[in-house]
Amino acid sequence: MASVLVPVAYIIVVFGSLFIISFYYRKQTASRIPEPYFTSHPERNTYVTLLQKTDPPTPEVVLKSALVRRAIADVLRVMRIREDKPALQTLLQKGSVGDDLLNSLLAAEKEMEAEIIEVMNEANSFVDGWGPIIFPTANEMIANEKMRVVFEQTNLLLIFTRKKIWSEGPEHP
Amino acid sequence: MSHSHSHAPGESHTHSHGPPQPQPQPQALPTADPAFLAVIEADFRPVTLTVAADNTTLLCESHKLEKCSACNLDYVNLNRLSKILAQNPNLKAPPPGNVISKNLSQAVNNTKEEGNAFYKMHKHREALGRYTMAASIAVQRPPWESNQLMREELSTVISNRSASYFESEDYISALADAETVIAIRRNWSKGHFRKARALVGLGALDEAIEALQVGLAFEPNNAELSAYLQDVQGMMKGGRQS
Repeated sequence: MASVLVPVAYIIVVFGSLFIISFYYRKQTASRIPEPYFTSHPERNTYVTLLQKTDPPTPEVVLKSALVRRAIADVLRVMRIREDKPALQTLLQKGSVGDDLLNSLLAAEKEMEAEIIEVMNEANSFVDGWGPIIFPTANEMIANEKMRVVFEQTNLLLIFTRKKIWSEGPEHP
Repeated sequence: MSHSHSHAPGESHTHSHGPPQPQPQPQALPTADPAFLAVIEADFRPVTLTVAADNTTLLCESHKLEKCSACNLDYVNLNRLSKILAQNPNLKAPPPGNVISKNLSQAVNNTKEEGNAFYKMHKHREALGRYTMAASIAVQRPPWESNQLMREELSTVISNRSASYFESEDYISALADAETVIAIRRNWSKGHFRKARALVGLGALDEAIEALQVGLAFEPNNAELSAYLQDVQGMMKGGRQS
């Protein structure tokens, strides 16, 4: 005669194993480090390399310029993260991508926050009060550079337009 | 480094807490999360570079170039900024954007006015020379200044240059300049107007109408654009009938 313990034991084994497996699986997923969203940060590497030079130590103008370039790169990354995030979330909802990519993005976002604070502290170490100004400066420099590039490429644009118009010659009176 | 703004017993601070002072008090910046700082530091890869003898430029270690495609390094912009800082030793850091160099605006404006004078006298070669000079001065503006100024100055000068090319019947150059103006300042009606005029000069009437419609999309109530649109449409009808 089967005792009443057998079905009870069966239930305990089934649910117990489900619980144990899900516990270990969740622990494993949580501890998995997401893939880096961005590849290396060349401007940051440049800045730290310059900072570490002692023989001879880098001149301060160069260090400050390197810090500003680092700030510019950070601003561009933050803009990219902000653009990519809603798109990724939509894709995730539709099921086109796994959530690994979103985890990478969120990790990158947190890392950027730390990076920005770090840059502000470094800026303050040069000149007191520079920290809050360096990022607006970076914004202005990005716009300035875009305009400068457009202007310098006017010549190229001229050559290109000329070629295009002449190749379309027969259609126009 | 930033000082902590605590008033705990035993911590002294240098500023007093009187009535609000004109300059902003330096706030204590938060320190970054150490876990992420560790990630950042782990990500560090040293770069092979060297400082040039003039103490202001960076070059790649192996080829001694500012912009080296072999090493995948481009220090042109960094060196430009560091040269500007080196030339102004009293400038300890790029100031906020509202600190502007007035002489530059003055110079650009004067050169532009000279160009306008030549334009009115129909001396277009001199006018073009002046406008080009004004544009190159405008581009010399320190990059940390509010970009609105450079945007307006540069777009005005190039727009005038485009008009000058149009009057000298060099429609292709006029078109290239108009495209530049639109790329710099998209919502300005004059840029689209100049582009349409250049296209009409080249005989591409439908493209001119398109350009005018784009301009009107940015500024729906612009009288100049609407009037010119009607002109061009009239020209097209006239062209079809003849």
